[in-house]
Amino acid sequence: MNPLLSQFLAEANDLLAQVDEGLLQLEQRPGDAELVNEVFRGAHTFKGSSGLFDFPELTRLTHAAEDLLDAVRAGKLALDSGMVDDLLAAFDLIRGWLAHVTAHERLPVGAGTDAALLITKLRAPIGGEPVSVAAHAAAVPPRVVDAAPEWLAWFDADWLSTTAAWLETTSSTMRFLWYTPDTDCFFRAEDPLHLVRQVPALEHLGAVRPQQWPPVDDYDEYACLISFVFATRAAVGELEYLFRYVQDQVQVVELDADAITRHLRGEPPLKAEEPVHVAVTEVADSEIAADARAVLSAAQRSLELRPDDEAVHLRSVCHAVSAAAYALGVPTVLTDAARPAILAAIERLLAEAAPAPVMPLTPSGAPATTAAPAEAPVARADDPSGQVGTKVLKVDQEKVDRLMELVGELNVAKNGLTFLADAAEEEFGSRVLSRRIKDQYSGMHRIAEELQAAVMDVRMLPLSVAFNRFPRLVRDLSRRLGKTIELVTEGEDTMADKDVIEALGDPLVHLVRNSLDHGIETPDQRLAAGKPGSAKLTLAAVADGDAVIVEVSDDGCGIDPERVKRKAYEKGLISEEELETMSDVEAVDLVFRAGFSTADQVSDLSGRGVGMDAVRASVEKLGGTVTMRSRLGHGTTTRLRLPLSMAVTQVMVVSVAGQRFGIPVDLVVETVRVPAAEMGRVLHQEVVVMRGEVIPVIDLARALDMPWSPEDPTDRRILVVSVNGQRVGLLVEQFHREVDVILKPMEGLLAYADEFSGTALLGDGLVLLVLNMKEVLGLAARVA
Amino acid sequence: MTSDTATRPRVLVVDDAATVRMYHTSLLAEGGFQVDEAANGLEAVEAAMTTAYDLFVVDVNMPKMNGYACVEALRSATVGTPAPVVMISTEDRPGDADLAYRAGANLYLVKPVAGDRLVRIAGMLTAQRGVPA
Repeated sequence: MNPLLSQFLAEANDLLAQVDEGLLQLEQRPGDAELVNEVFRGAHTFKGSSGLFDFPELTRLTHAAEDLLDAVRAGKLALDSGMVDDLLAAFDLIRGWLAHVTAHERLPVGAGTDAALLITKLRAPIGGEPVSVAAHAAAVPPRVVDAAPEWLAWFDADWLSTTAAWLETTSSTMRFLWYTPDTDCFFRAEDPLHLVRQVPALEHLGAVRPQQWPPVDDYDEYACLISFVFATRAAVGELEYLFRYVQDQVQVVELDADAITRHLRGEPPLKAEEPVHVAVTEVADSEIAADARAVLSAAQRSLELRPDDEAVHLRSVCHAVSAAAYALGVPTVLTDAARPAILAAIERLLAEAAPAPVMPLTPSGAPATTAAPAEAPVARADDPSGQVGTKVLKVDQEKVDRLMELVGELNVAKNGLTFLADAAEEEFGSRVLSRRIKDQYSGMHRIAEELQAAVMDVRMLPLSVAFNRFPRLVRDLSRRLGKTIELVTEGEDTMADKDVIEALGDPLVHLVRNSLDHGIETPDQRLAAGKPGSAKLTLAAVADGDAVIVEVSDDGCGIDPERVKRKAYEKGLISEEELETMSDVEAVDLVFRAGFSTADQVSDLSGRGVGMDAVRASVEKLGGTVTMRSRLGHGTTTRLRLPLSMAVTQVMVVSVAGQRFGIPVDLVVETVRVPAAEMGRVLHQEVVVMRGEVIPVIDLARALDMPWSPEDPTDRRILVVSVNGQRVGLLVEQFHREVDVILKPMEGLLAYADEFSGTALLGDGLVLLVLNMKEVLGLAARVA
Repeated sequence: MTSDTATRPRVLVVDDAATVRMYHTSLLAEGGFQVDEAANGLEAVEAAMTTAYDLFVVDVNMPKMNGYACVEALRSATVGTPAPVVMISTEDRPGDADLAYRAGANLYLVKPVAGDRLVRIAGMLTAQRGVPA
């Protein structure tokens, strides 16, 4: 993708977010002039940038939205929520298009139809199509179709006829280019093939051999003798930008189906007198004259509009007129002239310059259009006065991920030193060397830790990134449900790792939807219950040590523990005994059980009962926990507790049947050695009694289907873990140390191995499989 | 190279849209100009206080200080012959150009401006700067 387009896409993202947010706020405060202005400006800037590319539908739709906003801004129109809906829909459509552009560098097929409908809607309140249709036509420049050049013959004929047929059906045009690199281009560090490959929306590419290769003796392998022909849908602006260094070596024509067909039939082009609309660059003298005349007319108009004869203004006009005169080849001295003299000069120049041929513009010291680039734009980077703008650096997410990966690898390499130190002592008997290596290690360890902290800091994002989508979601859903809801967000500035923030999105949507759908009552019900008609939904975040706590709370009807228990009993999730003895807190927790859904009628909002168990599963996958508190009639609060970062995980290494595995340290309660004689058995389950508590013991080897039986009949090593609030003992062969690892998700075929949450590379080069305890316990239950 | 840098005209591109700024800047830089950028009128005025420019390319609709106000501010701060101003805007309604001319712009163009045209006009307007008439 060319840098201009990727710059546009990045900018568009920010602008659209700004517009969306503004529109939502505007609905609450329709009279806020500053807000209207802000939204308008966002849309306006977006339109301006989009005009650089050949996305006519995009520009037209934005234009319609902008006109509506302009009318609001001018006070001609009061914004209502119908209009806000249309505007939001327009920008949603645009966002979809941009996703398509990101992938394919062009708008989706059908964009015109989608846009037309919305444009009509947007224009309806401001009286349909604008009066000056001409102004609109200007936004979408009329297509100029050129005559087919001779070099079209170098394109593949079959491809041309297919293309002609396609252009015919879509009544569109395509740009055809012929790029003849200089023979000595390689000595100027140009790479013609690379350049051509960068052409956006490239439809066809062919290399043209010289008509006759030079004799072998004269052949210079460093000379570029090949030229390229290619076809693209890219806009002229993009092509100009791409070929800016070699403008004089490129010829462009824009052809429609007719021109191509005539070429294929061997008929002469329609506009034979105007052979080829040559290039971007070859400055026709008449164009300079036209520009000069434009400057003269501007000067004239500007004098009319400012009769005050302010000295600075007159001098400025004088200068412009002199410059235009010089360009027209009629040097005219106008230093500090008065108004009448300037006006006379302008009139004389305009009269003289009309059709006359003019001299090319290459004055000394001034740049000519075709001047070789004296200095690449890169040179501006070290120019201190350049780039007055922002100090914030936007970095591609992938680059940060890459950095994180490298930090991980550095950690592994660093850990390798400890093994080396051991080897130095044990294998080579040099304790001194071993100690020196260890010294070296601790220095590296400190730097690696700091580096890791620095990279982690770069990855931190504010929670507002996760919260941002909710004003819109809550607004749309509450309207559909006929509920009045005020959304309050707190602690948006709390920071967490970007992976955590990203993974938080789906669970939060689930929780908010649940609140809206089941928790919050309709205004009538609320009033009847003696509550204010408008409900309050709060999203709050707060940092807590190395964790972040996110709460979703509503002041809705709360959860009825009795009803939950009954439902769970009916579904067979709990026994009759549990039904009677279960506390209210435990009952509320039942909603997290798989296959539980309290809504009697499944609504299209909360889905089909896959809600809360999915939330718990995804939060636990992040190494977090979910709890729910509820007061019947007063509301519900769901609390997510997540690690600030999930990039580095502490695992405890254990071995089973000679193989090492990692277990997240968060889950580990304790490690114990139990004499075999103390192991008990309840039904078919091995258990161990610790401090009066009966803990089931699972043979990890059996669960993982690995052949192993404890060698030492007297001592059993048991790792006690806590999963879902339940304590379970794992029978292992041996305990090892705890290590910090960077967990990589299981990939490829292993992605389906749910019993592992990921892999990590150990310092000695071994790959450690980290167990997903929940799945492993499930496996053990199945094995038993 | 230093003597070359000294003689090459210096342009300030003022636009709040990063994409448009990048487009204009790269075109002008290719055309042999030294180019600085400003993201709004205030930044432009600030830049003009410390650096002498031979040309301003100014957008109309910008936050903080719009293009018209920016041009007037740039003008009122100059002594001697002011640098020419080209205003480039997406607005093409009747009357928009007049607002620019009243503010003191020397030329009003509607976006998008073809690359060669922008460079050509910039060349024309800066051709005589510093050259005694």
